[in-house]
Amino acid sequence: ENSPAPLPERAIYGFALFLGSWFGFMLYLIWAYVPETWLFSLGLTYWPQKYWAVALPAYLLVAIGIGYILLFGINMMSTAPLSSTHTITDNYAKKQQQKTFQEEAIPALRDIPISEVNRMFFLPEK
Amino acid sequence: MEERRYRSASGAPIALRCRQHSASCRELVVRCPRLQLRSLSAVTSAVWLAAYGLFVLSENSVVLSAAIFITLIGLIIYLHFVKIDQESLLVIGSLGIQVTSSYASGKESTTFIEMGQVKDVVINEAIHMQKVIYYLCILLQDPGDPQGISEVVPLFQSSKPRLDCLIEVYKSCQEILEQRKTAPQSS
Repeated sequence: ENSPAPLPERAIYGFALFLGSWFGFMLYLIWAYVPETWLFSLGLTYWPQKYWAVALPAYLLVAIGIGYILLFGINMMSTAPLSSTHTITDNYAKKQQQKTFQEEAIPALRDIPISEVNRMFFLPEK
Repeated sequence: MEERRYRSASGAPIALRCRQHSASCRELVVRCPRLQLRSLSAVTSAVWLAAYGLFVLSENSVVLSAAIFITLIGLIIYLHFVKIDQESLLVIGSLGIQVTSSYASGKESTTFIEMGQVKDVVINEAIHMQKVIYYLCILLQDPGDPQGISEVVPLFQSSKPRLDCLIEVYKSCQEILEQRKTAPQSS
């Protein structure tokens, strides 16, 4: 029931958003360019200062730039250090139960301890 | 006792030397590349040029003497606390494992882990900065849980050898660690 196919309701939402965003953009242009005296003569005296028409986009661009660096930094901080046991095992691997070994059956899926993996990879049996 | 050449994870040339002192005692030494003259002169020239630029702007000659002091003290601090000359691993079968780092100024820092605490020496792979690197580490036993691991001690942190060098060190260590399983009465 959750397909991304176009529906009549979605077309109406899209058109409403399209009109809304054009209206918002025109309002922003009027606020930024129309002189204050003209707005006062129309009775619109309580609009924000025109300073913000330049300041908000500048803040937004700087925030996006910092966001790139911040995300990279958060990623690096969440990476486990080389001396942490999280690089070797975790709670699920510690609590796993050993299933009984059955002849001629594929062994059950489990987390193999790192010592065993190392022996298999790096100590070739002759 | 010959020296074999390998590369570190970042491409710098390192050398591995393996000495067998007795049947159950082995010492593995990884030697890092020495401080290069060209990088030292590059850093010194950069700092002094920046200081000269500041002097031209501010007409204050204290900037120049400060730059000289900073360069000298920075070099001494770097050689004594940061630049590692060689890292060595001494595995004594029934006694323990000793890890030594010697700095370029001659300082040596040593850590000893007794054999009762050592569970295994393994090659682990982990994310470091933007790379995935292999590194050798000592797994310490959890006193309460025989299967558990209480701590991971990474080895060769500043030389960071690549997998071929690590496999050599791993095989040497495993030969000694296997002896303690086959002869538990003698320890």
